[in-house]
Amino acid sequence: MAIDGLIILDNTGRAIAQSGFHSFPSAYPLLHIDALNSALANSPRHTDVDPVIYVQGLNLDTPSACCHIRRGELRYLCPVSGDVDPLYAFAFLQTFVDILREYFGHLSAETLKDNFDIVYQLFEETLDSGGHPLTTSPNALRDIVLPPTLLHKVLSVAGVSGLASSSANSHPFASPIPWRKAGVRYNNNEIYFDVIETLEAIVNKNGQPAVSTVWGSVDSNCKLSGTPDLLLTSSNAQSLMDCSFHPCVRLQRWARDKVLSFVPPDGKFRLMDYRFAPATASAVSQAAVPFILRTGVAVDEHGGSIDLTLSSRLTTRTMENVYVELYLGEGATGANCLASHNASWTFNPKSQTLVWELKAVVPSANYTFRGSFTSTAENPRPSRAFSVRFEIPQHNFSAIKIEQLKLTGEVYKPYKGMRGTSFGNVEWRW
Amino acid sequence: MSMRAPPRKGENFELAADLNSEYKEKRKDAIKRVIANMTVQKDVSGLFPDVLKNMQTDDLEQKKLVYLYLMNYAKTQPELVILAVNTFVKDTDDPNPLVRALAIRTMGCLRAEKIIDYLCDPLQKCLKDDNPYVRKTAALCVAKLYDLKPELVIENGFLEQLRDMIADSNPMVVANTVEALSDIHIAAVASGATKDTFVVTTDIVNKLLVALNECSEWGRVAILNALSRYTAEDAGESEHICERVVPQFQHANASVVLTAIKVIMIHMRGINSESLTKTLIRKMAPPLVTLLSNPPEVQWVALRNINLLLQKRPDILTNEMRVFFCKYNDPLYVKVEKLDIMVRLATEHNVDPLLSELKEYAQEVDVDFVRRSIKAIGQTAIKIDEAAERCVNVLLELIGTRVSYVVQEAVVVMKDIFRKYPSTYEGVIPTLCANLDELDEPEAKASLIWIIGEYAKKIDNADELLGIFVDTFTEESYPVQLQTLTAVVKLYLQKPESSQGLVQKVLNTATKDCDSPDVRDRAYIYWRLLSTDPGAAKAVVLAVRPPITLPRTTVSPALLEELLGEIPLLASVYHKPAETFVGRGRIGADSMQRKGTDLADDRLATQKALQTVAAGQQAENLLDFDDDVPNDGQPSGLAATTVLASTPAAANLLAGTSSNPLDDLVSIFGSASLGATSSPAPANPMGGFGFGTSPLAPAPAVTPVLSPQPPAQPQAQSGQDDLLGLF
Repeated sequence: MAIDGLIILDNTGRAIAQSGFHSFPSAYPLLHIDALNSALANSPRHTDVDPVIYVQGLNLDTPSACCHIRRGELRYLCPVSGDVDPLYAFAFLQTFVDILREYFGHLSAETLKDNFDIVYQLFEETLDSGGHPLTTSPNALRDIVLPPTLLHKVLSVAGVSGLASSSANSHPFASPIPWRKAGVRYNNNEIYFDVIETLEAIVNKNGQPAVSTVWGSVDSNCKLSGTPDLLLTSSNAQSLMDCSFHPCVRLQRWARDKVLSFVPPDGKFRLMDYRFAPATASAVSQAAVPFILRTGVAVDEHGGSIDLTLSSRLTTRTMENVYVELYLGEGATGANCLASHNASWTFNPKSQTLVWELKAVVPSANYTFRGSFTSTAENPRPSRAFSVRFEIPQHNFSAIKIEQLKLTGEVYKPYKGMRGTSFGNVEWRW
Repeated sequence: MSMRAPPRKGENFELAADLNSEYKEKRKDAIKRVIANMTVQKDVSGLFPDVLKNMQTDDLEQKKLVYLYLMNYAKTQPELVILAVNTFVKDTDDPNPLVRALAIRTMGCLRAEKIIDYLCDPLQKCLKDDNPYVRKTAALCVAKLYDLKPELVIENGFLEQLRDMIADSNPMVVANTVEALSDIHIAAVASGATKDTFVVTTDIVNKLLVALNECSEWGRVAILNALSRYTAEDAGESEHICERVVPQFQHANASVVLTAIKVIMIHMRGINSESLTKTLIRKMAPPLVTLLSNPPEVQWVALRNINLLLQKRPDILTNEMRVFFCKYNDPLYVKVEKLDIMVRLATEHNVDPLLSELKEYAQEVDVDFVRRSIKAIGQTAIKIDEAAERCVNVLLELIGTRVSYVVQEAVVVMKDIFRKYPSTYEGVIPTLCANLDELDEPEAKASLIWIIGEYAKKIDNADELLGIFVDTFTEESYPVQLQTLTAVVKLYLQKPESSQGLVQKVLNTATKDCDSPDVRDRAYIYWRLLSTDPGAAKAVVLAVRPPITLPRTTVSPALLEELLGEIPLLASVYHKPAETFVGRGRIGADSMQRKGTDLADDRLATQKALQTVAAGQQAENLLDFDDDVPNDGQPSGLAATTVLASTPAAANLLAGTSSNPLDDLVSIFGSASLGATSSPAPANPMGGFGFGTSPLAPAPAVTPVLSPQPPAQPQAQSGQDDLLGLF
């Protein structure tokens, strides 16, 4: 039971790179690429293709399945044969994408082609030819596959290259803690926490949320020397539900005291995920949607009119980059709209979507949007909901704050920083 | 293939020159270019000796690239790789553990017969290496060796060594050892070994539980899988295992979470304490909900598994229905699963928000999703008696929108509701009949005709309405013809005075002008019945049918149990046992063939069973073998097919409108045996059937009905379903 290999496709469906597939016929990866491409071609919406595609093998006896994901402009395929866990494949794909991001930053076909030697080394180090993921912790990987840094390039030009030159690498995997490498040294010891929360909500016509959930995560960037043992106390920790943690977190401590006790990995990592459940009297705890959208949509023959008013429920914060989108239905040809406060709007004829874009929504003002659209369909059927996306910098729905960060095991005093950002992804029905 | 002469010109010539350069950097750069060419399928095999010269280096990156080159050509030109064996063996003695591990790993995946003989000694050494990284790499290498030459593994005692390594101090070594042993076990089973090569003992379990919290996510999955194979000795041990595995629910990796849930589901069977079981189930809910914050593809796998879990444990997510509400932007495959789960979670307490959601979905743009939403409304009505009226009102509102496909689907669903609640919502019938002209799909037409026939007594102009269909009888599809026939006969039996002409006409047309044997046969049977004994005809045709219910599971209980043991594997995603869609990989080609013939046998059995209409347990098992459900012309393959097949559409349950002739026959004659058997298990369905056919049917025409054509398989299965639903 395992993953057969990994293939990366560019946005035209051509393979950029693929792992060894040593124990398979060479046509095997091609079959999977082909199966995915034809499934995509046959589907009206690309997002509707099943994430696990059944692939008929070369001979009838060995069918297999192709798990695939799309991240950015690239597609990542993971062929599996036998009865394996598709989540295993998806988890591995996601891990691999994260590793690539860690190494190259923004991912594009060009970046991967330019650094193909590193990509191939990563294939080898992360996935065994028998299909077992090997080293996927970024901390350990950086020891055995050097990231393409400037320093590395300089060194290689100077003729000092490879891992043998670096003293820290003589004992990789020597660290007693699997996720943290040994012998880390920093001049300035600092650790940063990014608390990112996303409100996922569906709001009914009457303005009442049908469902509204805040998913949060704490990302951390740790630059601490030695083997620090941290104890993080935060306010409002009681309202964090359904938490999942990086393996470094001691679960018993969290269960008992709602504090995070851990020896962090070096560098960037995700400390925890959670669901924010505000303490309310009702059994179903729902987070409040921070804006009100008054909608007026009328659909006539070959067109319709839209009248929107958006106002913020926040008292001090400004909502930024607010996008209000409406799919106008098959056959929509154009729109003519007027938005207040110099907000902009666009109609994308390809996706038949109307977008109202507001750079900033301040608490006191009402933002209005009026317009009409035309369609070749006699009875246009626009989607039943406006999709609203926004972000609120320096803010968290859960109001979680770090109260204290205690460090034991080392003598220095670390600098700590915390930043919160909130995003929203709301469907507002009309 | 023999070694080629070195190239004389072109790019490869230049590369060869660079590979032999005196400057280190130039050589390394040349290797990179060689690899680059190799990855775009250019032939660089001619450079083999030149590349090989660069294998001896203290630059690890360069070594890796050379190894990459070797691995690529090992498959096609194994004799070339032999040249490199010495370097490999030497590297396994390198002071740098990375080099040792790299060498043993690469040797393991060269898959060349000749190199294997040189592998055993270094492997022996590496399994006992001081460095855990080397040991864990070597452990996996044993599994690969087993794949190629099992006898070598056994001769060299590698298996015993692996078993000892489960006690290793390093958790990652333990995890990889477990992976290797599991692989060997699977390979051994596939090649027909009867002895279990990886027996999980109490001793091993304790060691695994210790290592579980210390290793990587992949290691945890391997260990959890091994734990799921273990049979606990007593309830205390089951409790202990559950207790130690539950913390894995909080792991960030979805795969670890679902595998942990599998282990709990398996070992929960051994727990006697009611309260502990409850606690465990309660603890399962949060991680399942958390899975839904993942990207859609992970959500989909999670939803498929949640669906399965709910069939076994309907109480897991009772308060969490809201998280399954669909967003407009969700991909269709996610929405479909969410709908199914929402209906499963529906209770009289949460039915109001559910209905308002379903009504919202029924007005969306996506036709397929709209239809499924309307079906879901019908399922809710059938599931929750208290909510039926509200559901009917929602359906009426939807019919009011006059969108063609909405109306048609709503009519089909209404018929199901009439089946469940006979004579309750007759006030709706005029509205339905008013939409008669808009119906153009056979299923919707057949449903409306069934309703008219069933309530012929109360519909004043029933003869007029049915007359429309009798006039166009030969142009309609067979299901509609069959329904029309039955409905007219029902009408005649209830209002003989007004419909004498109509019944004459329809029986005439059906027996003379119709080209479907099923329709003709049914017409003959009715004709005989009516002419011989109108009383018997009444008893048969107007018999009270038992109300339909929503199946609690979409798969048989035995299969459900098996699938739950395979969470979160593909089997549980497809809701089918693994044998029906995968082979046993490279090794198991012949075992798969055996499986294939088994399946063919099963299919034969299915048909045989169909012919005898044997219901009960056997019929239920038949459902498990639906490996060739036709693909409806959809592109998305097996997954999509199973989605279709597994939707517990109440509509399938309805004998009256199914296109399978068997259903209708049974629904006609069902009444005969029904008086005697009202229990869920049919005491003697054969009897009822035999009664129907032998004395009454015209001699030549009956047998074809009983041997449905092979392509009718899927309906036949739903037919079996119907039988269960009927009795």
